[in-house]
Amino acid sequence: MPLDIDRYSHLSSPIQRWDPRFKIAALGTLIISIAMLKTLPLAIVALIVVIMILWFSNLPAHFVSHGMTGVIIFLLPFFLIMPVTYPGESSASFLGMPFAWEGFRLALLIFIKAVSIVLTSFAIFGSSRFDVSMIALQRLKCPKIMTQMLLFTYRYTYTFLEEMRRMHTSMNVRGFIPRTNAYTLSTFGNFVGTLLVRSFERTERVYKAMLSKGYQGEFHSLVTFESNRYDWIKLILIIIMAVCLYTVDGWSGFSPAQQGWY
Amino acid sequence: MHISDGVLNAPVLAAGFAGTVVLAAITLRKMDLEDIPKISVITAVFFVTSLIKVPVGPTSIHLILNGLVGVILGWRTFPAILLGLILQALLFGHGGVTVIGVNAIMLGGGGLIAYMVWQLRHRFDIPKKEVVFGSLAGAAGVASSGIVLASALLTTGEAFLGTAYYVLAAHVPIIIIEAAVVGSAAGFLKRVKPEILAGQTSKHTASS
Repeated sequence: MPLDIDRYSHLSSPIQRWDPRFKIAALGTLIISIAMLKTLPLAIVALIVVIMILWFSNLPAHFVSHGMTGVIIFLLPFFLIMPVTYPGESSASFLGMPFAWEGFRLALLIFIKAVSIVLTSFAIFGSSRFDVSMIALQRLKCPKIMTQMLLFTYRYTYTFLEEMRRMHTSMNVRGFIPRTNAYTLSTFGNFVGTLLVRSFERTERVYKAMLSKGYQGEFHSLVTFESNRYDWIKLILIIIMAVCLYTVDGWSGFSPAQQGWY
Repeated sequence: MHISDGVLNAPVLAAGFAGTVVLAAITLRKMDLEDIPKISVITAVFFVTSLIKVPVGPTSIHLILNGLVGVILGWRTFPAILLGLILQALLFGHGGVTVIGVNAIMLGGGGLIAYMVWQLRHRFDIPKKEVVFGSLAGAAGVASSGIVLASALLTTGEAFLGTAYYVLAAHVPIIIIEAAVVGSAAGFLKRVKPEILAGQTSKHTASS
């Protein structure tokens, strides 16, 4: 079950108070730098940095961990596949299968990087209201058409989830049990079709209402951004961190994850 | 189905973003104001339906339905799927921020190919052609996504050779399921609300 990301944006913390424009720019840079890391020690440092940022943001742990479960499940297969399929001689064997530590290291690197990046995006979008984040994105020259569609889709997603749950209940009540057969698949097809038609007609009405109220492809907002000294300080701190991570990763004696642990 | 952060190397990621910008620029040019809500609706539905689980033996598979998006939105599939991916990455941590480009090429490109397959139906005069070509489009959408995914893994490094094979093999059941679901959804929409389908002139095909 997805959760609304901005549920805890009202909390007060250095991250929540940070001007969203600066926050997106700074943490976005950090994400790019993490994505380019090649060695395990630096990936672990990055993870610690990100966990510290989240700790500062005061987001409740259960909120973050709930969001992370899906990500971690998605990443686990790498630990199974990579060591077994890594090309070349395998150094060990595990349950009768060849097990290459090189593959395991690579899987570990992927895992740590992915978790750090997702945690960073939690810090970005979990700490301001979603519409405020979108306006901030727009100020950062993200195309207006994109941010508007994001806002619309964000709103609709929850409505349609509700709609889908209702339809699902009514299917269950009528005794539908999904099985591996053609009937199930065609039922799902009709289910998706019905959901589409219902949602479509509903939003057509909404759109007409919007047009009659003068919608011309733009949302007007009362949100104003004001940056102060602290916004700049945080921005510079994070950017220095991002640059350091990247340069130390490239110039230190650490070897890339394919070749060694450190 | 998508690739997550931290797997691909920087050149592949950059190529993904470059391709996405080009495709988005081309497909966005075919849009007008009225399309914004329509695309958002389909994106939201696409997102919500990707939570449906289809039982396959002891496990279950999530629907992807990028073929269905192609069948409905035509060329506007690409911005719609891009949008869906951004939202998933930002809000739910599925996929990831750095791989939005690659994922958009993978799923959005698949959607565009599905649309091309879907349009071929005009050249044939067979009964239930919406179901037939809907199925083909559904299959084409997922199949091309699988191929893009496997090649993105391969260009990243030979360490991923085994993973790439595994990915291709895992796509076979998905292709069958998507073909069945998209075909039946297309047939349903043809009966109930044909104007929702891409390239459908409701009067013209009503007789077939």
